[in-house]
Amino acid sequence: MIRDLGWIDVFYLALAMRWTIVLTLLGLAGGSAIGLLIAAFGTSRHVPARLLAQGYVGVVQGIPLLAWLFIFYFGFPIFGVTVPGWIAAAIGLSVYAAGFLGEIWRGALVSIPKTQWEAAASIGLSYTKQLRHVIIPQAVRIATPPTVGFVVQLIKNTSLAAVIGFVELTREGQMTAAATLQPLAVFMLVALGYFCLCYPLTQYSRFLERKLRVAR
Amino acid sequence: MSLVELRSVVKRFGDHTVLRNVDLNVEKGEIIAIIGRSGSGKSTLLRCINGLEAVNSGEVWVDGVAVHDPRADLRALRAQVGFVFQSFNLFPHLTVERNITLGPRIVRGIDGKAAEAIARDALKRVGLEEKLHAYSDQLSGGQQQRVAIARCLAMSPKLMLFDEITSALDPELVGEVLRVLEAMAREGMTMLLVTHEMNFARRVASRVLFMHEGTIFEQGPAREFFEAPKTEELRSFLGAVLH
Repeated sequence: MIRDLGWIDVFYLALAMRWTIVLTLLGLAGGSAIGLLIAAFGTSRHVPARLLAQGYVGVVQGIPLLAWLFIFYFGFPIFGVTVPGWIAAAIGLSVYAAGFLGEIWRGALVSIPKTQWEAAASIGLSYTKQLRHVIIPQAVRIATPPTVGFVVQLIKNTSLAAVIGFVELTREGQMTAAATLQPLAVFMLVALGYFCLCYPLTQYSRFLERKLRVAR
Repeated sequence: MSLVELRSVVKRFGDHTVLRNVDLNVEKGEIIAIIGRSGSGKSTLLRCINGLEAVNSGEVWVDGVAVHDPRADLRALRAQVGFVFQSFNLFPHLTVERNITLGPRIVRGIDGKAAEAIARDALKRVGLEEKLHAYSDQLSGGQQQRVAIARCLAMSPKLMLFDEITSALDPELVGEVLRVLEAMAREGMTMLLVTHEMNFARRVASRVLFMHEGTIFEQGPAREFFEAPKTEELRSFLGAVLH
């Protein structure tokens, strides 16, 4: 049952993009939550907390996302829990994103010069108020461009969820290519879809980088 | 009790002893210039007074607060003790106004129009009223340092500490900062300045301290101090810096 590539396929591909977006947002939400913990642990005064954060980042960054997706997709059934592909993908992406976001944010926090802490302390701010009013606002400015850059990576990496059967843009493309036998044309469309999501973010990140106001 | 009292203060960084049994009394209204070679302990002495560095032994009393006590309320103390840094250390993400009002807003709970009035008044005293809405990267070094001083003045401090505040400035910008200091001196502010500006120290300071190898090696009223140094170390230091 081979059919021609038509507008209806373009329409379905466009619809599949929303699952790419949803998966990115889930990975970003989970990754941010865990990543904040990793950044907090990584900047802690307590050595065990720092070691824990370093260990997490090392393990996550040392294992490819595809492996994480398999680990959660095939790992849960071992404990008698069968999870749908999208949940395994969301968890895998979260764990993976946390390893990178946590490290980006930790780096941003420690890059604020000690003199900014001292200046804040010397006008009588408490440790938490120094963090809240002086350190974090600057760290956020430093971390935003690389964070947006990582989100662009995350969008493209959601395509790996296709291998555990989650129908997002890439999986929809595979099915359309099989039905039409026009893989090149289909995957050009898939590529265009990712580009339309990623390019504006890349430009936004550039824009942000130009208007930083932080201590060096 | 004096406004500032240091009793046998010892400060070590690792194996290196930076302050060796330093004793010092500062009365209200005094203007004290601290001079000496780099590494002699000048900046450390200043930083121990507002608790930016914790002392290893001895006592530091500022306005009745035991700064050497780990349980001391350093926050309350620092709100009353202005500290100006060599590198300005303005908050680059905030406007000049917000830099100045951060302390009054957060520490004192002053807000809105009242906070803005404090900022305007503090800026007026350093001659930079028109920079209320500027960011630090739009200011010259001299202007940044004057805003840093205004940021301290906004807290109505009882004591001001200045750590080589003109050392990072281009020579032509030093004068505008020193003029602000002189105006504060005339208003009776108690000030401790670590400085390399010998002429300024001679003209404005009521007392000058010479620090050498972690001790206050020689001190005296500005005039005699410069005209008749008693120790060979001070003579050789003055000889090196006054040419």
